[in-house]
Amino acid sequence: MNHESRAPLRRLMLTLAGIGAGIVALTALLTSGSDLGTLLSIFSTRFLGIFIEAVPFLLLGTFVSGLIEAFLTAEDIARVVPRNRVLATVVGTFMGFTFPVCECGVVPVVRRLYSKGLPLSVGVTFLLAAPVINPIVLASTAAAFGIGEVLIGRILITIIVAFSIGLVFAVAARPQEVLRGAPMPAAPVMGGSGELPVMPLLSALPPRKTPLAGLRDAVSLAGDEFFEMGRYLIIGSMLAAAMQTFISQEFLLTLGRGPIISVIAMQGLAFLLSVCSTVDSFLALAFAGTFTTGSVLAFLTFGPMVDIKSMLMFLGVFRRRIVLYLILLPLLMTLLIGIWINLNLAL
Amino acid sequence: MSVLNAHPEHDHAHEYGGAQTAQLWLKTAILLGLGVYFVYNILTGNLTNYVNERFAWLSYVAAALLLVIGAYSAWHLLTAHRGGHDHEHDHDGHAHGAISWGILAIVAVPLLLGTLIPSRPLGAEAVSGGVNISAVESAQVTVLSIPPLERNVLDWLRAFNRETDMTAFDGQPVDVIGFIYREPTFADDQFMVARFTVSCCVADASAIGLAVQSTETAALEQGSWVRVQGTLQVDDFRGERLPVVQPSQIDMVDQPAHPYLYP
Repeated sequence: MNHESRAPLRRLMLTLAGIGAGIVALTALLTSGSDLGTLLSIFSTRFLGIFIEAVPFLLLGTFVSGLIEAFLTAEDIARVVPRNRVLATVVGTFMGFTFPVCECGVVPVVRRLYSKGLPLSVGVTFLLAAPVINPIVLASTAAAFGIGEVLIGRILITIIVAFSIGLVFAVAARPQEVLRGAPMPAAPVMGGSGELPVMPLLSALPPRKTPLAGLRDAVSLAGDEFFEMGRYLIIGSMLAAAMQTFISQEFLLTLGRGPIISVIAMQGLAFLLSVCSTVDSFLALAFAGTFTTGSVLAFLTFGPMVDIKSMLMFLGVFRRRIVLYLILLPLLMTLLIGIWINLNLAL
Repeated sequence: MSVLNAHPEHDHAHEYGGAQTAQLWLKTAILLGLGVYFVYNILTGNLTNYVNERFAWLSYVAAALLLVIGAYSAWHLLTAHRGGHDHEHDHDGHAHGAISWGILAIVAVPLLLGTLIPSRPLGAEAVSGGVNISAVESAQVTVLSIPPLERNVLDWLRAFNRETDMTAFDGQPVDVIGFIYREPTFADDQFMVARFTVSCCVADASAIGLAVQSTETAALEQGSWVRVQGTLQVDDFRGERLPVVQPSQIDMVDQPAHPYLYP
């Protein structure tokens, strides 16, 4: 399993998260007076509820992006981007509709697009917006929260943050100061940092496939991705279900009702859990009852832009200083917007 | 989706090591197992213990995709195992994606929990932070046009929300099903007939209930399902004035096929 051996940090974080969740669950079990079997049954129902609701979206997401990967090339996309920087940044915001990828899939697409001459700012905007502004993520958000303030807030905040950061890069940055190493060759580029397997997305593939071969690849990819993404979903759902089952409502409300602390807590959670943006809504749902709307929105907007696994992938494309900006700018913007929502909007 | 991580370099031939073969088989088994688990949930109706019925069709999709992906994985494994590899693959790197033991173990968790722990809906023990006596308002305006005897617990709470004068409900007949919920703070002769509402899946479940006043209260077991028939009368409940059911009859019933109410 070369993915794994090459990502010791990721594996370490994952193990730590698992052990942490286990310890929390166990302590809560031992200190609560309730019957163990009953609690386990409630935990299981809650966990499986999130899992069963999320799996279809996870599978559809991987399957659709597999199909698109097979039948649409980066060149097709690079060709339609306008030359004007601001216009191009607008296009970058909505490019997710043609490339429905979550945060883990977006980095290699961006890398490939850069090698095709995509403007820097457009790539940054696409990188930050695409994990949310795409049909599958919008559908899963609507399924979880209905068509209402959370869905609209998620779209608006993502667009505002991604577009502004893209503009900052359009005005202030030069590609050679931003991108790692020489301009990407058109040939497949394998994990420049050596830390993560940034696989060639479209590059290694023949330009066009027969429908059958494309379908077969999409099915096969969906299987692999189901495990790759599924583990984050499962660990995240277990944590959410454990929290609802074992941790007292009073404690959660203390944390979740604070207009500032709740946002910080949910951002930290989003970063650590690294749950795919196609299914993070169902996790957020578990917190929606006890946490402020601003914090839930911060979870749903910051998480898709930055988390442990996407951060590691950023390092393969951008220089370290730029990666720092790409983490701090979304962090601060979603933090401020989340707090502002909590203080000013009675959602 | 990280479409991208899944293409290992094509640096090895089609001979899998022993461990890799085992991993590939386990991966296939988990995919097929989860597919069967979804089908089982659909057939037994257990699905309604987990998600809003409105989203049941998504589980059909998941079941189909899991079975197709699992079957493909099995087929690929079987044909590769013969060593032949004669099918015209120009790019068959994907199915080489053996999954590490750790990830396999994690993804097996839902399958194990789903099969080993008997499926039960959330009940009285799962109530945390009390049962709500007011429903989240929705755009539904039709609730008052539902005849009183056909209103469920959720309909009643919505009806209460629409009315400022609670005495307007005095004397109205009630016929609802729910589970018994009691707290130490309740008066000795009071309980709630409660339901969980689920908009999406049980992650958003919240408990709601109607207050009931009955001399039989002490004999009723927490969490058991009952049908309560009676009339409403404004009364004190936990220090609030609200319509309380004065039952004429309380019958033990089986848990309904749809244990949750869908707002």
